[in-house]
Amino acid sequence: MRQAGTYSAILMGGIAGRTGPHSLPLARIKKIMKRSGDDVKMISGEAPIVFSKACELFIEELTQRAWMVTLQGKRRTLHKEDVAAAVMATDIFDFLIQMVSDSNGGQMAPAAKSDSMVVER
Amino acid sequence: MAGSGTGGDHANYGGSSDGNPAAAAGQCSVREQDRFMPIANVIRIMRKVLPTHAKISDDAKETIQECVSEYISFITSEANERCQREQRKTITAEDVLWAMSKLGFDDYIEPLSLYLQRYRELEGDHRGSIRGEPLPTIRHRSPNPSTDVVPFFPQPPPPSFVVPPPSGPPHLNHLYGDGAGGYYYGMYGGGDGSGASTSQDPPMPGFDHSYAPYKQ
Repeated sequence: MRQAGTYSAILMGGIAGRTGPHSLPLARIKKIMKRSGDDVKMISGEAPIVFSKACELFIEELTQRAWMVTLQGKRRTLHKEDVAAAVMATDIFDFLIQMVSDSNGGQMAPAAKSDSMVVER
Repeated sequence: MAGSGTGGDHANYGGSSDGNPAAAAGQCSVREQDRFMPIANVIRIMRKVLPTHAKISDDAKETIQECVSEYISFITSEANERCQREQRKTITAEDVLWAMSKLGFDDYIEPLSLYLQRYRELEGDHRGSIRGEPLPTIRHRSPNPSTDVVPFFPQPPPPSFVVPPPSGPPHLNHLYGDGAGGYYYGMYGGGDGSGASTSQDPPMPGFDHSYAPYKQ
């Protein structure tokens, strides 16, 4: 039988050690999931759990990539343009292209990218 | 995303806890705030991967906050489509993982599967996994057979639980963060019972054990 006490303690340290059981509020995640489409009906209790961790990974990856752009520009402040550049440079973030080019006058001056992809608005 | 943003908050069909509707009603910009993750949480996660001296502009914070919501919607839409194709009503964790893999986030699958496993073990997975029997596998429809791997979730360990792959790849490492491939999971059986699972053991021969080559 698994040793609940020890095992849980190890796991709790791994997951819950830093920010509590889930970094991101599950109810909020569920709301956002529901907004993704009119035909989203039911969501299992575990799906937001997965998202809470996935969003953490996502934020980490996007932030790290953006920070690399910041460093290339020899700066210490991470700006929206750095995020935009990271989006441009990463295939799996293509779904964000519209978002990072919106509401910014089309100004995406990626610090170290070749041609700015000026996305028409 | 087609049809997003119309009608805002739907009724809580899922019936599960939805936080604090009363509190939400008391705030003025509830609709705006409900669209995003709390910015404090976002910032905290960002800081985990940034050096101490790094500064973050406000517009960067907001942009990432928006990107997270976009990410959730993006994945959920794909997962939802799969549910509809398979005529299931409930988006499961497995659907979410499948969608993430399909949309290119397969690097996340392993840590997420681990995370889910831990959650189930800690919280008592009364939510739906099947106890005491091997969980069936679900073949997901990838056109490419070499990527036809479904994230598997470990079943709750019955006393004699052992799933050694016959070819003996690197052992199962229970602890978080060190998946050396070779994970075998019973398949999550689908919350509403209608899932597209086939009742068979995980296909061991020829199975791509590690997640690293699990890329399209």
